[in-house]
Order: sequence, then structure tokens, then C-alpha cells
Amino acid sequence: MPRTLATRTWVRWTTFAARQILGIVLIIAGALKIPWPEASVQAVRAYQLLPFDITRPVGYALPVIEVVIGLLLVLGLFTRIAGWLGGLTMLAFIIGISWVWAHGISIDCGCFGGGGETENGIAQYPWDIARDVGLLACGVWAGLFPRSPLALDNWLFGPSDTEADADHDELEESRA
Amino acid sequence: MTQSRREALRRQQQAQARAKRFQRIIIVGAIVLAVVVVGVFGTIFVSQLNRGNTADPGTSAAVPVNATADRDGITVNPGKFAAGVPKVEIFVDYQCPICKQFEGMFGATLDEMAGKGEIQLIYRTMTFLDNNLKNDSSLKAGVAAACADNSGKYSAYHNAIFAGQPATEGTGYTTQQLRVDFAGTAGITGAALSTFQQCYDNRVTSGFVQGTNEAAAKDQVNSTPTVMVNGTKLDNNKVFQSSVDVFKQTLLTTKGNG
Repeated sequence: MPRTLATRTWVRWTTFAARQILGIVLIIAGALKIPWPEASVQAVRAYQLLPFDITRPVGYALPVIEVVIGLLLVLGLFTRIAGWLGGLTMLAFIIGISWVWAHGISIDCGCFGGGGETENGIAQYPWDIARDVGLLACGVWAGLFPRSPLALDNWLFGPSDTEADADHDELEESRA
Repeated sequence: MTQSRREALRRQQQAQARAKRFQRIIIVGAIVLAVVVVGVFGTIFVSQLNRGNTADPGTSAAVPVNATADRDGITVNPGKFAAGVPKVEIFVDYQCPICKQFEGMFGATLDEMAGKGEIQLIYRTMTFLDNNLKNDSSLKAGVAAACADNSGKYSAYHNAIFAGQPATEGTGYTTQQLRVDFAGTAGITGAALSTFQQCYDNRVTSGFVQGTNEAAAKDQVNSTPTVMVNGTKLDNNKVFQSSVDVFKQTLLTTKGNG
């Protein structure tokens, strides 16, 4: 039986790296915004994308959600879900920045606090998007290959039956 | 032990392990969700607390006398303009240096046109720089200006604030400036002064000013100064390159969007 990609050592360590990169960025980005929720609301409004009435709940909730997803990724807890969710937030940011770019709205993306209209925001958009695409890739990778070393998932839940079988096969193979 | 009994035992153990695993997943998942909920509500709670401490002891619904019907701003020249003249709305944040620059370029022109009744002039105060500068001076200045409206000195007080704006953005306004100095410059004296100061000290108009900021954001104004004529936003690049005469013409000829 051939080894699946997900069981290879380098894949697992790549997941570990992806977890740490996306997780740490999310924690920092969220933590910088949590003390100033009204500024976060303002940053959301500057995109002129969401209906006005939901900008306040989004502005308040988003930093907390970022930190929680970030913590899950760094700790390796619910890695599959956290990876997909982290990727999803990055996708949302990419859509947001593309939207303001397409509409010629010049803002600070407010990614790490701040936000609002600014003089030469548009020049920054390609870099913001490039960064977020990289982080999106980290999230997708962790979602596709959630098994990784140094993760709470490993000792908290133990391997699921199918994963246990895969580990078993791997063991057999290495013996052969 | 027979083969089938051993197999049955193994299955039972597996089922138990699965059930335990499932239980752990549910418990930890619930903890994570609880952290999210507590985090969001904690943020809301703390921010309300901060707001209460700084500027909102009375949570008053009081509205200054010349507030617009929608409570989104203050009319500078009530009763002085005829029906059908252009409605000019100026969005300002009292901590915004470019607003001071704008005021220096066109403030006198606006006052003059408003006085003659050529336009209906409305100032819509915003407070978003409080968030950017991490202080509460925009709100405090807005509250003071709205209180000055009750003393009949709105326009003069508005001008006094900009005249006294600190050179460095973010320094903010002192209580002395807002309670005493600007009031003096605006010509609020005697009994009117103590009424004004009482209004300011109790932050009577803070709910109104928070409302004008919210209303401006709702009208998709995210920066100051912004000039709106009959609901149409003017391009600031053009505004700041305009001579006084061109600016006047722009105000008088811009078509509305409604």
C-alpha cells in the first residue's frame, strides 16, 4: 500500500510551519485591534463593502475571532477546522482589498490596526494581497494536511481510526 | 477465550475509545466557542465602560437648539436662508489639521454666504480621529461646540476651536481651552458662560455628537473635511485647488443627487 502524502514527514513539518506562520500573524493582527474596537469598526466601514448595520458587530467580533483562530493554529488544536477558517478570513481580506482597489478607494487596509482613508493606500494593495495570498496558502495547507508534530490534537484526541490505520501501515512499511 | 469473544471485546473497547474521544472533542470545542463569546462580549463591555468614563456620564438625549431634523448636524444659519438654496454640509473633525486648513481657506466665505442666506450651511461633526489618535478630544470639542449652539454662539465657537487647534495632531484640547478660552473667544460671557460650562461639564450633548458621527459614517463619509452640496460629495482635490470665487460658484451650481 503506497504511503499517502499526508503521512510523509516533510508534509507534517510543513503543516507545522504553516500553522505557526498563519497563527502568529493572526494573533498579532487581532491583539493589536482588540483594545480599540471602535477603530476596528471604522476600518471595516472604510471598505464600504458590508451593509452599514453589520459593520459594528463585525468590527467588534473580527479581532477576537482572529486571535482565537490564531491560538488554535499555534497550539495545533482543531487544526483542520482552524486551517480552513484561517484561510477563509484571508480570502475575505483579499476580496475586501480587491474591492477597494477596483473601486479606487484609497484606504489603509487596517490589517494590523489603524485603517480608514489615506493618501496613497492604493500603492500598498498589491503587497497586502500578496501577503494575504501567502497566508491563505498556509491555511489551505493546514486544512488539507492537518496532522503535524507538536500539536495538541495529537495527545488530546489521539489518532482517529483511519489515521491510526494509516500510521499502522506506515509502521509496517518501514519495517518491510 | 474463543476467537469471536476476543473480537467482540476488541470492538467494545474500540467503541468505548471512540465515545471518549468524541466526548473530549465536544468538551474542548465548547471551551473554544465559550472563549470566542466571552472575548466578543468582553470587548463590548470594556469599550462601553471606557466610553462611560471619558465622556458619557449622563447618556443624555439632549439635542442642541439648531440641530437638523435628522439630528445629524447643526444648522449654522437657521431661518436666514430661503427655500431652494443649496444645502451645504461640511463634515469636520475638530482634531483634523486639514479641516483647519480648509477652515482657513473657506471658513469666512462659508460664514458670509450663510449670513446672506445664499446657502443653507450645516456642520456635521465627526469624532473618528479619537479612534485614530487614541484620545477623546474630538468628542469633547464636538460636545462643547454643541453646547455653544445652545448659547447661540455655535459658529463663533466652531471658529475658535480651529483657531486654537494644537500644532501637533493628537495633542488634543485641554479642559481649560474648551470650558474657558474658546468660550471667551466666541463671546460667551456672564450667565450664558455658566450655562455653557454646565452643559459641557455634564456632557449633555455627547449622545448627539456620537449620533452625528454615526450618521456621517452611514452616509459613507470616512474622512474630513468633506463638503457635500445637495447630497453630492465634492472632490477634495478640486476643492483645495479652488480660489474663493471658484469655490463659491461650485457651491451654488453643484447639482444634487436627489
